[in-house]
Formats: sequence, C-alpha cells, structure tokens
Amino acid sequence: MTETESQVLLILFGGIFFAILMTLFVVGVVLIHRQRQAKNRQKIAQLQAEFEKTILNVENEIQQETLAQVGRELHDNIGQLLSLTKLNLNSSKPEKQQEAKGYVNQVIKEVRALSKTLNLDWVESLSLDEFITQQLERVQATGFCETSLQSDQSFAELKKEEKLVLIRVIQESLNNAIKHAEPNHIQVRIHRQGPSRILEIADDGLGFDSSQKSSGSGMHNLHKRMETIGGKCSVSSSPGEGTSIRIELPV
Amino acid sequence: MDSRFWSAFGNWQTIVLDLALLLGTCLFLKLPKEKKGDSAYWLPFLILSYIAIYQNFGAYTNYNYEFKKAVNAYLGNTENPKFNLWLFNIAERQILAILYLLLIKSWLGPSMKKYVDWMIMIFVAVALTLQISGIELMYTEQPIIFAIGANMILVACGLYFIGLITNENYLQSQPTRLLSFWGTTVLLFYFSLTYIYAVTLLYLYRENLTLGKSLANIKYVMQVIKLCMLLLLIAAPFLTKFFDREPLHDPA
Repeated sequence: MTETESQVLLILFGGIFFAILMTLFVVGVVLIHRQRQAKNRQKIAQLQAEFEKTILNVENEIQQETLAQVGRELHDNIGQLLSLTKLNLNSSKPEKQQEAKGYVNQVIKEVRALSKTLNLDWVESLSLDEFITQQLERVQATGFCETSLQSDQSFAELKKEEKLVLIRVIQESLNNAIKHAEPNHIQVRIHRQGPSRILEIADDGLGFDSSQKSSGSGMHNLHKRMETIGGKCSVSSSPGEGTSIRIELPV
Repeated sequence: MDSRFWSAFGNWQTIVLDLALLLGTCLFLKLPKEKKGDSAYWLPFLILSYIAIYQNFGAYTNYNYEFKKAVNAYLGNTENPKFNLWLFNIAERQILAILYLLLIKSWLGPSMKKYVDWMIMIFVAVALTLQISGIELMYTEQPIIFAIGANMILVACGLYFIGLITNENYLQSQPTRLLSFWGTTVLLFYFSLTYIYAVTLLYLYRENLTLGKSLANIKYVMQVIKLCMLLLLIAAPFLTKFFDREPLHDPA
C-alpha cells in the first residue's frame, strides 16, 4: 500500500469513526435523559405517596380532635342540658315543663350541629377564617386567654388538601400555645406578602430558645406538612418573649 | 437565457435551495401573526432566506464574471479574479456561523445563553482582527476563522445536550419529539463532517479525486438535510402531532 493510499484510508476511517462517535454521543445523551426521566418518575411517585399519607394522617388527626371535642361537648354542654331537662320534667309546674321543652329543642340543635362535625364535610363548607374564628372563640370561652384575628381574606381560596393541612397545623399550633406557653393573648394575623400568603400565630407566653434543636417531633411535623402542600413553616421564639409561628403558602 | 446562466443557476443545489425558500416562505406566511414575531420561527426563516440569497448571489457572481472580477480587484485580489471565495468567507463562514449560534442560543436555558453571547462576541472580534491584520485575507481560504466558528457551534451544541440532561424543564419531554434536539443533532453532524471535509478536501482532490468528490457529496447531502431541518422548524406549529412544544422556549 502506497503512502497516499494509506492516508486516504486514514481520512476515510477517521471520518467514519468521527461519525460513529457523534452518533454514540447523541444516543448516549438520549439514554442518560431517559434514565433521568425514570428516576424523576420514581421520585414523583414517592412524593405523591408521601403526600397522600400526610393527608390521610391529617384527616385522621382532625377526626380524632373532632371526636375529642364532641366528647367534651356531650359531657359539658349536652349532658348539662339533658340534666336540666330531666330536673324540669320531674317538676309538676307547667312553666318548668315549658322550660324543659326549650332545653330539648336546644339539645336537638346542638346534636345536629355536632353530627355535622363528625365527618370532614365541614372542611369544605367552612372558610379558613371561619375555622380560625371558631377555634379562637373556643379558646377564649375557656377563659384561658384573650384572642384576636386580623385577616385580609388571603386564604379564602384553598384546595381541600391545603385547607386540611392548614387546619391541622393551626390546631397543633394553638394546642401547643395553650399547653406549653401560658399566654395572656394569642393573635392570629393573615396577610399577603408579594407572591405568598402569610399566616402568623403569635402568643405572649413563656417562649423558648428556638435556636436550640427541639427533641420533639411536633415542629418537624409542622415543617413536613407545610412542605407537602408547597408551603413553609418557621418558628421564632425566645424565653419570656412569646412565640411566633409563621406559615407561608404561595398564591 | 444563455448557457452561462443555466450553468450558474441550473445546478441541483441551487434549485433545491430555491424550492426550499419558496416552501419556507409559504409556510412562514401561513403562520399565525403571533408566531411570526417569535424568534423560534422567524430565525430559521431568516437563516433559510439568507442561505438562498447568498447562494444565488454566488451563482450570479459566476454568471457575471465582470462583476466578480471588479469585486476581487476592489479587495486586492488580482491573481485569481475567477474566485468568489470572499462571498463564501463572509456569508457562510462568518455571518451564517453567527446565525447558527443565535439559533442554538434560542434553544438554551437562561444560564447557558450567556456563554453563546460571549462566543459570538469573541468570534466577531477574532474574525475582524484576523482580516484587518491581514493574517487571513477576505479573498483567500480562512481556515482559522472557519475552525473557530465550527468549534464554537460544536461547543454550543454540546451546551444544548448538557442542558437536555441537566435542566429540569426537559424532564417531561421526549428528546426525539423535540425539534430543537433534531436541529442541534443536524448541526452537530453537519459541522463535524464538514470539518473533516474542509481539512482534507484540497488534499483529496489532489490525491484521490473520486473520494474527494464523494466527500463533497456528503456535504451537499448534509446541506439538504439542514434545509429540511430549517423548514421543519418554520413548520413546527403545523406538526404538533409529531413534535412537542419546546420546554424552554414555550413554557406551559
């Protein structure tokens, strides 16, 4: 083979090799992309499963909370009303009988209202502001502390899952304040800040050092739950200065 | 019309190009108004029109020898008045390289676009410096400018492929259903194969004419594929059955 022939062959095979290399490169890119897509699909499925699990947990917890509340209502309110009714019915005076009728009507109303809370349909019919108002009224009715709500209705539009998680986070935050903070006042503030909706629950209670890592899972759960609906949750507190929980959800 | 006209304009490459321009113009005119103003459609149309215009102009310089001779003389080339390499250098090796870089840039994510901007600026600066300083004259072969332009286009194609496997916006897309993927692949093959062709052509014509001509045919075939690609890019809104929307260009 002459030198020219070998150079021509070199060019020919070099060109073919180059073309094969390019083809392999492009095919390689497509394969890597497919692998990435498969991994991403797995991740999405995992996140979806986590999301569904969280929502299920939240629903269970809300139902448990509701049942506890129903139990309290039955004992403290309906039980009392029925006792009064019994006392009045035992009396022979007609006005007492009339009063007993009134109590029975009140019991019917209360039972109807309670029965509505037993399933989670109320979550859809109630706005978040209405729910917070109810919760704060309940806290205030116990005489435990004063409460107030400021809202610009930023959370008026929510998906059911978002509302469920927020309801649970608010319940948890209020329970924590009542159980641990001994506050004189709990304030809830709802407002819009740029592309986010903010809900702040602040108390003037004992507070704690929020820079120290907590050993409990309560705060961690709040963070995780807010993350599942694309939101954030942060806590700021210092001893003697109260606690503020800031919940953020994009519009 | 005389035979010189037909020998200048009647070759199959020019006819294919003119037909592609005609088809491209019809497709572009049929696009909805808002698409006509979109760089994803007007840029391929601009490139197609530009290629057709300069190739026909090249054919005209072959037809009108006196004009070609005058331009060569103006540029200082009195040795080879039959050459129209000046047109090829300016139109294809310089301006078309920049247009291809802009086309690839339109398919890149925001973080990658700046690299292409830098490449274009460096390319323009280097090309001007080499020509003004006389290192590479406008009417002679310009291997350095060609190599820089082709390499930059290959790097830009590489950036696109890196984006394809790293950018999250591409996760929901099938690459084979994206016109940007095929466009980049065609440009990658065109410039890598043209590279070999450009480097070895003169040697092969001297030593093995048959192989040299075959290699030149590869370039012509690649050019036809490239024209088809440009037509597909212009016609993309009519081909939604076969191709998906570009995730980086048309966010959902």
